[in-house]
Amino acid sequence: MNNQLKVLRAMRNWSQAELADRLDVSRQAVNAIETGKYDPSLPLAFKLARLFAMPIEEIFDDGHEGHDDGE
Amino acid sequence: MMAMKDMTMVNEPQGTHPRPGVLWPTVIILGTVFLMGGVAGYLDAHRADGGDGPSGLVAGGLVLLAGTVVMWLYLRRFGAFWQGWSRRKRLYTASVAGSGLLGFVTAILLRSGQSDVTADPFFSNSALSPQIAIGLALLWGVGISIAIFIYQRTIDDHEQRAYLWAGLAGYYAFVIPAPMWWVLSRADLAPPVNAMLLFLLTVAANALVYMWLKFR
Repeated sequence: MNNQLKVLRAMRNWSQAELADRLDVSRQAVNAIETGKYDPSLPLAFKLARLFAMPIEEIFDDGHEGHDDGE
Repeated sequence: MMAMKDMTMVNEPQGTHPRPGVLWPTVIILGTVFLMGGVAGYLDAHRADGGDGPSGLVAGGLVLLAGTVVMWLYLRRFGAFWQGWSRRKRLYTASVAGSGLLGFVTAILLRSGQSDVTADPFFSNSALSPQIAIGLALLWGVGISIAIFIYQRTIDDHEQRAYLWAGLAGYYAFVIPAPMWWVLSRADLAPPVNAMLLFLLTVAANALVYMWLKFR
């Protein structure tokens, strides 16, 4: 899954370690999310959304265009 | 819902505080290890020559305790720095450091408790004294259980995933070779099953997968 984490972090001049401290996760976790090696859990995704004051879908992109309507 | 809200609160990092260096902890660790070896070796040699005094194991244990206290006193000076860490991070570090200390004590006990001093302490089946054997079994059973309990409660999502996959890899590294080895040994096509070798295989598989998923 693609994400904007690296860009959002760079805009705030935060290091991976600083972001990790704010999220209370390890620096390796931040690095793994940024490089797409790991997709965060829903609670962690919400935490990221809250930290950056953005909807989750603006931080993460699962590659699907538009919205699923369930049909 | 409240629990979820609390769990997803975002931390505000504290200001910068003086942090512990690398030099003093290294000096304390190396000093403790060398002093333990020196004191234990001297006392054991003294007793072997017919002299009195505590055994090297007891004296080495006291030196280790003293070294641990000195390390704690050193780290305590940086209270403001540790306060800047989250509770999860503090507990996580404590559980990892505790496990390391436990491993070190286990290695010392294994080395000192065997009757054949020329045998490898970790991979041989040479006889152990009953007291050391009971102590080691308790240390492993109780100590590791407590360390794992704390560790499991403090790891983040990413590490939990690495830990779970590593656990599965360790399980497969046991359930696939163990029955194969067992049936082959029953037909005299392989030596008798060696439980410790299988244990080491599972630990190696577990460690490899964990390292790959956590640090790559």
